[in-house]
Amino acid sequence: MPDWKQEISKQLVGLNLPPSREQEIIEELSIHLEDLYEEIVAEGATPEEASREVLSSLSHSDLLAELRVTERMALIDPIPEGVVNSGHLLADLWLDFRYAARMLRKTPGFTTAAVLTLALGIGANTAVFTIVNSLLLNPLPVEHASQLLAMNSAVSKNTREPVDLRPISFLNLKDYREKNHVFSSLAGYSSLTTLTISTGPESQRLFAEVVTGNYFDTLGIRPLIGRFFLADEDVTPGAIPVVVIGYAAWQGRFGGASDILRRTIKLNNVAFTIIGVAPQGFKGVNAIFGPDLWVPSMMAEQVLTAQQHNALVDRAILTFTGAGRLKPGVSLAHAQVDLKTVADALEKEYPDTNQGQTVSLKPITEAAIPTNQRQGLLLGSVFLMAIVGLVLLIACSNVANLLLARAAARRQEIAVRMALGAGRWRLVRQLLTESVLLGLLSGILGFFFGYEGCQLLALFRPAEVAQNFVDPHLNANVFVFVLVVALFTGLIFGIAPALRSSRTPIVEALKEETRTAGRSARHITLANALLMGQVAVSLVLLVTAALFLRSVQREYTMDPGFETKNLAMFMLYPGQQGYDRTRTEHFYKDVRDRLATVPGVASLSWATNLPLWQRAETGIAAEGHEKRNKSEAISSVINTIDLEYFSTMGIPFLAGRDFTEDDRQGATPVAIINDTMASRYWLDQNPLGKRLQLPGQTELRQIVGVVKTADYQTLGEAHQSCVYVPLRQNYSDAMVLYVRSERNPEQIISALQGEIRNIDPTLPINDIRTGTKLIEQALWGAKIGVGLLGVFGFLALGLASIGLYGIMAYSVNQRQREIGIRMALGAGQSSVLSLILRQGMTLVLSGVGLGLILSVLLGRALSKFLYGIGASDLPSFAGASLVLLFVAMVACYLPARRASRLDPLVALREN
Amino acid sequence: MGMPLEQEWKKGSAELLILSLLKDQPRHGYDIGKLIESRSGGKLRFHIASLYPLLYRLENRGWIQGRWVEKPNQRRRRYYRLTAQGQKTLAQQRHSWKEFVGAVSRITGVQHA
Repeated sequence: MPDWKQEISKQLVGLNLPPSREQEIIEELSIHLEDLYEEIVAEGATPEEASREVLSSLSHSDLLAELRVTERMALIDPIPEGVVNSGHLLADLWLDFRYAARMLRKTPGFTTAAVLTLALGIGANTAVFTIVNSLLLNPLPVEHASQLLAMNSAVSKNTREPVDLRPISFLNLKDYREKNHVFSSLAGYSSLTTLTISTGPESQRLFAEVVTGNYFDTLGIRPLIGRFFLADEDVTPGAIPVVVIGYAAWQGRFGGASDILRRTIKLNNVAFTIIGVAPQGFKGVNAIFGPDLWVPSMMAEQVLTAQQHNALVDRAILTFTGAGRLKPGVSLAHAQVDLKTVADALEKEYPDTNQGQTVSLKPITEAAIPTNQRQGLLLGSVFLMAIVGLVLLIACSNVANLLLARAAARRQEIAVRMALGAGRWRLVRQLLTESVLLGLLSGILGFFFGYEGCQLLALFRPAEVAQNFVDPHLNANVFVFVLVVALFTGLIFGIAPALRSSRTPIVEALKEETRTAGRSARHITLANALLMGQVAVSLVLLVTAALFLRSVQREYTMDPGFETKNLAMFMLYPGQQGYDRTRTEHFYKDVRDRLATVPGVASLSWATNLPLWQRAETGIAAEGHEKRNKSEAISSVINTIDLEYFSTMGIPFLAGRDFTEDDRQGATPVAIINDTMASRYWLDQNPLGKRLQLPGQTELRQIVGVVKTADYQTLGEAHQSCVYVPLRQNYSDAMVLYVRSERNPEQIISALQGEIRNIDPTLPINDIRTGTKLIEQALWGAKIGVGLLGVFGFLALGLASIGLYGIMAYSVNQRQREIGIRMALGAGQSSVLSLILRQGMTLVLSGVGLGLILSVLLGRALSKFLYGIGASDLPSFAGASLVLLFVAMVACYLPARRASRLDPLVALREN
Repeated sequence: MGMPLEQEWKKGSAELLILSLLKDQPRHGYDIGKLIESRSGGKLRFHIASLYPLLYRLENRGWIQGRWVEKPNQRRRRYYRLTAQGQKTLAQQRHSWKEFVGAVSRITGVQHA
């Protein structure tokens, strides 16, 4: 009698079943054969005849093929027969999803790797989009934002041009409110103004907006607790000191106290009653930086600076931006026409102040970002979105590579399905469902990554004003964005592998042995192309990050036009402590005299402006450059300064003289200008002795000196005009004290503070800055930007190297037999190592080559945003390439080392 | 030319036959093959290569369940029994089979024996 078990196991060769399963089948079938044999013998046949008959029944059967079908199906967990295509789309989809979920569960390693990779890419996109969404797309938590317009005054010649928008005076705003026909309500809000809040002996600085009584109603904001301003609270100047505080201020400064309402706080030495708290997330019409509290317009005199004290009665003092809610059915164009007629009437009625003025309207969401920052933010956002888009692309191509490798391993499964009659498109759909499911899972995880990323980013806000920053907020936009990205991601990385798999030649695939399955040249080619692309894109991102990093480094060493070393600044607002003019002027002099005696002080002076925080003003008239009307005048930074300002700041004189004790009230009004202004308006002339007029002033000032131009608003800015006027001729009740020290200013700051306290212990001294800190702050935005670029660059590099590692490891695994033969024929470890390394690094090098070309092109496009370095800056390109090559080398080396340590015997036997 | 009878019935009703045979008691593979052959008067016959893969497929679907059983003086054999899901499937298949046969009879005029 033959050994039945042996006969059966001969039949099962090539099935590659799990050993235990194979044993089971062999045992069961051999018993069957034995039964059959015994039966035939019992019927009277000889043992030889019986054996022959049994064996022939076995040899003529297609046991192998049948078992291959059933056993493979068992392994791959089939779609139940009969429901391969129910014709019902939703039912199919549900089946596909359930099946896809099972497949993903079966390969947890693959699933985890793919989901993590994609989630990182989606997370980066979510984070950037959340910020873009908060800043640009949907910045204000107001009711029906599309009905709200922001209103500014503008030069009548050119109302479309957003460059020269200015606030509106209170009286004009009132007239616009009464005479327009298009707004159901029109409110006004001031720009941020700093206030001093005193609680006991302590005092702090905070930011406030002066708003008209109907401000919150117009925006459609409801109080979180308490109430907002009533109509009769905003009628009589100075009568009813009430204040609404923001949510962050309530939580931060008042610890979320439940008895906050009716509390009295001292603002600028005036007692205000808190009547309400604004809802969380509302920070005025500001997308970036908002106030701590709101004060009704009738309290303007108490909270605004001395120059604006007459804001409620003087049409020349421009304080408010209008916020109007359109009546139903009114368009922006219609509103513009209507308000233009009001503006024309006002111009006729008040030519002194309103000549050449008209109004400009724009959607309120645009007004939420200062005009001069909008362009940059928009550009930056697009740029960052492109960067994270590339990161996601790398993640996608990584997963596509994983899928290709997996598709190779699944060729037999696919072939079985097709042999069973699955249509090609049905299969593609099934495979795509799997990748879309992967995409969705990654979307969920990526959403959390993105959210956490935003929170992390929020930590980098300057601590002292962190609560004034608008928090990045999640809303429907973000959810929809993530969903769409996740779905598209799933389709993008899934489609090529799915199409390829569905083209599997059935017979070939079924005949293949699993170990070598799918090692077709085309798979590797597509994978290699994807990988090369990844390397190229990673390099582009790294080079970009490096370029900007070097640019920011250069900016640190940039000369801002004044000496930043050994410089300390103190902001002092005696006017807000209730000082009158005489007392304030005394105070300024006292401080200068007494602080000059503090050891280590080289010199000191006062000025209204903080360096790098200055804004150009328009409305200056220059002699010899008379314009058709006032509003067409020159724009310039205006700084009111005390004696010895230029020597303290280290700004060199080019011509003329400094201000002296004699430049006081009653003497000839004088001014000093910078060389930019001199060359702009008095080129080839001597500017000394020429005269100019400042906005809102009637007297002509004689130019007595010319100094070198500095940076006023941002580091490395285009040169701006600047006019300096003497403090004695242009009183201000809020000034910055500049102290030039002999050594590190940090060492004498407390001595200086002590001396100021000796003069007035109640006066708050806040915002102490040193020159170097000032530069730090000025570069804060740039540093955050570079930080993000760096993070995304390294994320891309990380993803690309994981991809590289994956494909190298896979390829080594597939080439085991070949490597085994090579080694058996005498190839040494080092030659195998170099074989594999060469294969990987060839790929990397071609990627680097492509990346360098792309980087040069991109660098050219970015060159105008770079400071102090060329678009093809060698250190950036070389540094980025070296980092990438090093990481890629490691990613190739690990699989190569494994290959070189293969035991040729084992490698050959396994195949 | 039509398919051989064996192939034709196998395609349509082999599952039903096996489920029916397991309805009352668990049986092993050889027993199932013999029963089909004897009860059909030798008309229906299962090869080892078609019977076992079919059993495995039914088992994969959870309709039947196999278990190794050792009885005194006998070989260790794998007995298959109907699961609850198998019971349900059998009922469904019997029903549709009856309908099918009924329909064919009405059309062809062939009466039940």
